[in-house]
Amino acid sequence: MIEFRNIHKAFGENKVLKGINCTIPTGSVTVIVGPSGSGKTTLLRSVNFLERADSGEIILDDIHLDVEKATKADIHKIRQRTAMVFQTYNLFKNKTALENIMEGLAIVRKVPKAAAKEKALHFLEKVGLGHKAAAYPHELSGGQQQRIGIARALALNPDVILFDEPTSALDPELVGEVLEVMKKVTQEVNCTLVVVTHEIAFAREVADHVIFMDGGVIVEQGPPQEILNHPKEDRTKQFLSRYISLVEYNI
Amino acid sequence: MSNILEFSFMWDTFIHLLQFIPVTLFLAIISMILASIIGLASAIVQLRNIPILKQIATVYLLIGRAVPTMVMLYIVYFGLPILLLVFTDKTGIDTGYQHIPPMVFAIAGLTVHTGAYLTEIFRAAILSIDKGQMEAALSVGMTWFQGFYRIIFRQAALVAIPLLANQFLGLIKSTSIVFTITVIELLGGAKIASVETYRYLETYLVVAIMYWSISIIFEKLFLLAEQKLGIFKKEANI
Repeated sequence: MIEFRNIHKAFGENKVLKGINCTIPTGSVTVIVGPSGSGKTTLLRSVNFLERADSGEIILDDIHLDVEKATKADIHKIRQRTAMVFQTYNLFKNKTALENIMEGLAIVRKVPKAAAKEKALHFLEKVGLGHKAAAYPHELSGGQQQRIGIARALALNPDVILFDEPTSALDPELVGEVLEVMKKVTQEVNCTLVVVTHEIAFAREVADHVIFMDGGVIVEQGPPQEILNHPKEDRTKQFLSRYISLVEYNI
Repeated sequence: MSNILEFSFMWDTFIHLLQFIPVTLFLAIISMILASIIGLASAIVQLRNIPILKQIATVYLLIGRAVPTMVMLYIVYFGLPILLLVFTDKTGIDTGYQHIPPMVFAIAGLTVHTGAYLTEIFRAAILSIDKGQMEAALSVGMTWFQGFYRIIFRQAALVAIPLLANQFLGLIKSTSIVFTITVIELLGGAKIASVETYRYLETYLVVAIMYWSISIIFEKLFLLAEQKLGIFKKEANI
């Protein structure tokens, strides 16, 4: 379970998060949608302290952190229980596909090298890239890189995986393969998944819970069919109007 | 005088001067290693914005890059013993400054000078690495140090190598001025040798060829290191 309590964050004068309160249940797939600049990525990054919120509390199961008082050790602990998939993949450029996955296992989790390699290969196969084990990131397409990014997160067996717009940097033809892998992940993995995305169709299909954010606050949240098909708030309707027709009209 | 250049003399001089090459290389390599440590440390201090240390690094950069190498050598050569003398006077701990060989001052002077330039080389190289790389390292649970050493440093080193090669070749040539503080290296040895025979041109031509050869060897070594470290990188076609 992840819980945000009154999270505030500002970049200089620009208030990005204005008091976020919400709970994400363990094992759920939660999708955060909203226009650019609404603070959804910042909220996601505040979970593993890549972005440190200015005030508020973050609770991850038994770890209860006041963000103002969190120490290096607290942050390290929370990072060991979470993993992240980035918009721009961020694979380690000096490591092969296999080494990218092994790195966290061998260095952070102290898994013996042979076992780490075996596990890494297993997850590479899972995302359909077993044959690319020796390839360096620059030799792979964006879609392949992102699938490895997902494998890297999965291999750590974290409590939570944070997806930060995993398909936004991909060209349309490659979005499908990544979404396919993510769907598989939602079906097979028990960890909590938090996904920031613009893929409304994906949200409708796999999400248990949808959060709509705008202007640094949560405008509306609930099950996908409710939020995405029958939004109550005007701002949500306006945002979703591109994806669904809310009004009947004749020409 | 029958010939403009006496080749047999040049050969003899070459053989005679070979004994000074280790001195030149020792000066250059030890100074480079020490300067790399200082340079990397002060680059990190600046990038991580560590208070006090950052100010020290800034002052060091200002001085290190603004003072000519030879002036720096003189300051170290004449200044350091006085500093140690005062230290001995004040604390009663004998530093044995009278017995420090000039080689130590030479290395100290060259290190201070080179370290300042290396700071900027490392800083630029580290800045050139996408910040997503460190974020990814942190996100899988690495500490900052693990992420820096295993991911950032190894990518930045590749960027830095051509510049380090430049700096090192410059440093090899800079070693020729330590003769002024009584360290006999390649140029110093040549000066002494030429005085005995008055054959200046031949001697300096030999010295030039020797510096040139050393430079070429190290140029190739750095190129090799760049290729070896760069297996993960796509060749840019510009």
